[in-house]
Amino acid sequence: MGTAATLGAEEAERFLFAEARLLDERRFDEWEALFTDDGVYLVPIDPAKEPSRSISIIYDDRRRLGERVFRQMKTPVLDQNPPSRTIRFVSNVEVAPDAADGIATVRCHQLIAEMRPGGPGQAGLNAPRWFAARCEYRLRRTDGGLKIAAKKVVFLNSDLPHYNLSFIP
Amino acid sequence: MAVGERAVGRFRELVDDDPREFRIHGAVYTDPEVFVAEMARIFERSWVYVGHDSELPAAGDYKTVVVGTQPLILTRHEDGEIYCLYNRCRHRGAVVCRQERGHSNFFRCRYHNWVYANNGDLIGMSQSTGYPDDFDRSGYGLVRAPALAAYRGLLFVRLAEQGPSLAEHLAPARRYIDWWLGRSPVEEVELVLPPHRYEYPGNWKLQVENGYDGYHGNYVHLSWQRVLQLSRESTVEEIQRYRQSGAARGLANGHGLLERPGSLNPNASWTARMMQRYPEYAEAMRGRFSEEQLVAISARRNIFIFPNLYLFDTHIRVIMPKAADRTEVQLYVYALKGVPEVINEGRFRGHERFYGPAGFGAPDDIEVFTEVQTGVHATGHGWNLLNRGQHRERIEEGEWVGHTTDEAPQRSLYRHWRRMMAEA
Ligand code: FES
Ligand SMILES: [Fe+2]
Repeated sequence: MGTAATLGAEEAERFLFAEARLLDERRFDEWEALFTDDGVYLVPIDPAKEPSRSISIIYDDRRRLGERVFRQMKTPVLDQNPPSRTIRFVSNVEVAPDAADGIATVRCHQLIAEMRPGGPGQAGLNAPRWFAARCEYRLRRTDGGLKIAAKKVVFLNSDLPHYNLSFIP
Repeated sequence: MAVGERAVGRFRELVDDDPREFRIHGAVYTDPEVFVAEMARIFERSWVYVGHDSELPAAGDYKTVVVGTQPLILTRHEDGEIYCLYNRCRHRGAVVCRQERGHSNFFRCRYHNWVYANNGDLIGMSQSTGYPDDFDRSGYGLVRAPALAAYRGLLFVRLAEQGPSLAEHLAPARRYIDWWLGRSPVEEVELVLPPHRYEYPGNWKLQVENGYDGYHGNYVHLSWQRVLQLSRESTVEEIQRYRQSGAARGLANGHGLLERPGSLNPNASWTARMMQRYPEYAEAMRGRFSEEQLVAISARRNIFIFPNLYLFDTHIRVIMPKAADRTEVQLYVYALKGVPEVINEGRFRGHERFYGPAGFGAPDDIEVFTEVQTGVHATGHGWNLLNRGQHRERIEEGEWVGHTTDEAPQRSLYRHWRRMMAEA
């Protein structure tokens, strides 16, 4: 096992594919466990803005991320009942070594296909949607393996109106 | 688009203002003819909210908006005034601005290069020898909207030449707007851009009806209540008790609100809690307002201003109808001016937690809008009930005041809707 500074493209890809699988299979609690205790999950509207002083689609610290997963798995939500089906494509993976703090920066593109099934004629259901995104991860090596210190998902149409994005992009 | 007289007669029938069983017909949500008439008779006739003063701080700033079906530009000219211009070149009709917002002192039409100042004046024509020497440019500026007016930073336009003044339109809701601003000790807010935006396959009035609906919370937001319980902020039982308190108010001119009781007890209101936690905030608030005013200000309210504006504790909400079954909503979070920064950051994070397309509450509301939009296609009975609390509401100072779970504000909405749709 190398240091974070030597994180290879192949190991980074394996990590991202596994993460995508956890989300597609709605194993949200296992996904949440990929984050460090100080991990941040950000889906900005305008990625140029400082998130603490602006408004994001999602700006979760670890505690709020825990609430997000709890809400999905343990509470009577309407917006994910019926739940979304998703298929994630991960590509264009690039690893930028970052000596500081055992962290590497990994950039990739993701295409998320999403739809919620339902009966005939139901507004909002049975409609596949596609989300293209530029993603940036900050990964840290820990005793428990690679962990996500930060995940940022910037949609191509981040500043346009969206229907329900509660499937966890 | 002109709406035929027969249709106008039919619109009247869609609202049944029965004293015991107020109801509306499902066609108000689904009928494309109703939608076309709403754009012409409501959105292109009433005062419509188009933006906030703080969005155009400097001369040259502009933003484009659509009111009803009409593209408009709001600009701040070098004279300091805001102008509202039809976004339509006087030559052959191209828009002169394609951006959502920006900064420019003039607008150049890209088709044949006519140029307009940002107060609308025509200041340049390409190859102008093609027009006679006495061509009077002053008659060919971008046309200004018939009426633009502001109330305390909120900008409204009226596309009809005739009609009530903005002050007359807002009068029934004015004190609530003032109290809403009063959580800032300088009574000003500043928008935080860009806004949250969402859209849903459903009618715009579903968002209006829901924003001050105190009846759905324990069901649609049980999930949210469980999150608050998990974080030990409140138990589900406490939240459900709180949700019985306050009032739902239907106002004249189609406005309405949901209101929780005001209080200077830090356990009972956000304002009092912030005043306890941040002494400099308490000092500023007490320096500005009397005790009685502070109680009124501390009441949490969702205030609807007919036809497209909501004032919430964290954001200004703008409802933008797109089609009978498609609506966009924009949530402009704002900072309260003159308060410690930490208070605003807490408000921003609190907003993100509940609102927006991935919040823990708003997507559940949007889900039920789609359920109504689907359901009302079944015409077996055809009517939706809005009679909750009709037997127990009282009229006070021209307001219909109901229990917090009653449909008094929704009835006000549809009374005014019918007036605008079916009367001259
Ligand atoms: S349409 Fe604008 S210059 Fe011709
Ligand atoms: Fe709600």
